[in-house]
Amino acid sequence: MSHHIPDAVTWCLAAALIAVAVLLVRQRGIAAALRLRAATLEEGQRARDTELGHLTAVRLPAVTASMNQPVPLPGLLDEQLAGTVFAHGLQSVMDTFTQAVDKAQARADQSAKAALKASMRALQGLAHEQQLAISDMQDRHDNPDVLRDLLQIDHANSQFGRRAQAIAVLCGSWPGRQRAASPLTDVVRGATSRIRDYRRVQVHSQADLAVVSRAVEPVVLAVAELLDNAARHSQPNTTVEVGLQPVHNGACIVIDDAGVGMDGQEIQRAGALLTGRATVDVSRLGDPPQFGFPVIGVLAARYGFSVSVDTRSPYGGVRAVLFLPSTLLTQIDIDGPDTTPLRPQAEQGHGRGHGRGREQGHRREHGRGQGRGHEADRPAATHPPAQAPVPDFPDFPDARNFPAAPDFPAAPDSPAASGFPATQAGHAAPSGSHAAPSDTPGTAGPVPGSVGSTAGGLPKRRRRQPAAGGSHRGRPAPLPAETPAPGTGGTGAGERTAEETARRMGAFARGTRAGRTPAAGTPIGPLQGTPAHEAPPGAPGTPAPVDDEGNPPA
Amino acid sequence: MTPPAPRHERGLVRPYVVTDGRAHPTRNTFDLVTLVLAQYDRPLTGLSPEKRRLMELCLGGPLSVAEIAGHLMLPVSVTKVLLGDLVDSGHLITRAPIPSAQLPEAQILQEVLDGLRARL
Repeated sequence: MSHHIPDAVTWCLAAALIAVAVLLVRQRGIAAALRLRAATLEEGQRARDTELGHLTAVRLPAVTASMNQPVPLPGLLDEQLAGTVFAHGLQSVMDTFTQAVDKAQARADQSAKAALKASMRALQGLAHEQQLAISDMQDRHDNPDVLRDLLQIDHANSQFGRRAQAIAVLCGSWPGRQRAASPLTDVVRGATSRIRDYRRVQVHSQADLAVVSRAVEPVVLAVAELLDNAARHSQPNTTVEVGLQPVHNGACIVIDDAGVGMDGQEIQRAGALLTGRATVDVSRLGDPPQFGFPVIGVLAARYGFSVSVDTRSPYGGVRAVLFLPSTLLTQIDIDGPDTTPLRPQAEQGHGRGHGRGREQGHRREHGRGQGRGHEADRPAATHPPAQAPVPDFPDFPDARNFPAAPDFPAAPDSPAASGFPATQAGHAAPSGSHAAPSDTPGTAGPVPGSVGSTAGGLPKRRRRQPAAGGSHRGRPAPLPAETPAPGTGGTGAGERTAEETARRMGAFARGTRAGRTPAAGTPIGPLQGTPAHEAPPGAPGTPAPVDDEGNPPA
Repeated sequence: MTPPAPRHERGLVRPYVVTDGRAHPTRNTFDLVTLVLAQYDRPLTGLSPEKRRLMELCLGGPLSVAEIAGHLMLPVSVTKVLLGDLVDSGHLITRAPIPSAQLPEAQILQEVLDGLRARL
């Protein structure tokens, strides 16, 4: 029995050993698996830490940096994390951050635009005010040296105004001034006025088209920016050529420069800006900020013209083409009273009728020379340029044959011709030196039909017609035909014939002479006697001096 | 016809563009009352718009410098620069203004007046 016991113990021990061994092996396996898992998790943790570091160090700053120039944002550092909850979490952090940055950016941009706009409007107003002051000075001073200085100031002021205007437009403001519909040529030259190198710009063709009033200022500004670009990027000894081309659907302003040109990328970028679709951020214009193309883009989108830029210029530089559709064009008829728009709906633009009315008056004055609108504007400068029916073109041969001041020889065929001219001129002179020749009775007296007075009470002068003196040229004069010419002397101060006036003036002259001669010798006695027999019988003696003062205005 | 219209139009093309930056006329013979006459046989092609307008204005008959400036809505001094160019190119000729005669002295006029009054 006893020898059975160790056997049993041995078996038990063996079984226990086996069990222990199995347990040990299993434990080792579990430990190894755990170790492996721990290692994996540790590595994952490290990857997440690194990813988090990457987020804060690289990805979020990239979002901030992408405000200035859009670049592709960096993704996850470890691709194994893609699709995990952790990656989603990171992505949502990124998104929130991007939104916050965008919002802050938009708010900053908006406030920057508002501030810039307000200040640029103020500057624009000042520039405009100064321009008016300069214009007044140019009118007032008739001295070349003063004019030269004023032109310089004017030039600087115009550029200053354009800069302010461009920035204001970019910030969402309106271009500012409302102008009358203007010829395309004037629009281009107006744009030329606003750039530094205006003397290098050459406008070649002349088109009869005009730009409607609401589009004048935007087109001027856009063309000015294009011209400024062209002049700035080409050598100072080259010219900038501008051509105006009427096309089927409107008109084109073609600007060619001989400058450095643009490469493909620049043209692409310019094209994107010129469409005006992308919102322009004032803080992303580069340093120094380049306003030109963004401003043109904004204006083009707002007013409906289009601008394209490419390198087709025959001079090797850039060719910019500004296309104006027919809706922005009108036609100014130089001789006719009316300006007809090309399309009826173009007329429904704001303020068109007003502009057209002005324009119409303006052009008629220029075309035919009958300017009556000016007196109100500059009564002091050009005293009475007013004339009523202007000698029309059929009359010019006469004007040519009879060149200088035709009325002056005509007047002295009055009986009292001897003392007449001297006294006459002396009498007329005080009414304004440059207006002196116009106040002679030859014009003021015998043409009652045409003489009126301006709103300011100044006398209007009929433009001197050669026909007034036509009697000694043999041509039947239209003017005397329409005058009443009673010959018997005027009834009132208003209607007095040339002879009558001349007789009175002659009497006055004789009185003057008579007064002068005895003044040297005897004192007052003969003076009283002399006019008694020298003066012609009847009226002239007494009313002449008094009446003549009232005469020229009549 | 509305008064502000010329002002608006004037602001568009500035005078330095009109004169090409010059302020001094090529000749110093213009006065406000100098009469300007157009020569009819000269072509108008190649002239700037202002010069063309000036010529069209003058083709209607002789005008004084002041009147031309008023019609063109340009300052007188700028008009003189344009006139100088056009006279140089033979488009225009000028005629001196009619000289104003000597004014009688105020004292004499006063005496005449007194005499006339005394005669009444």
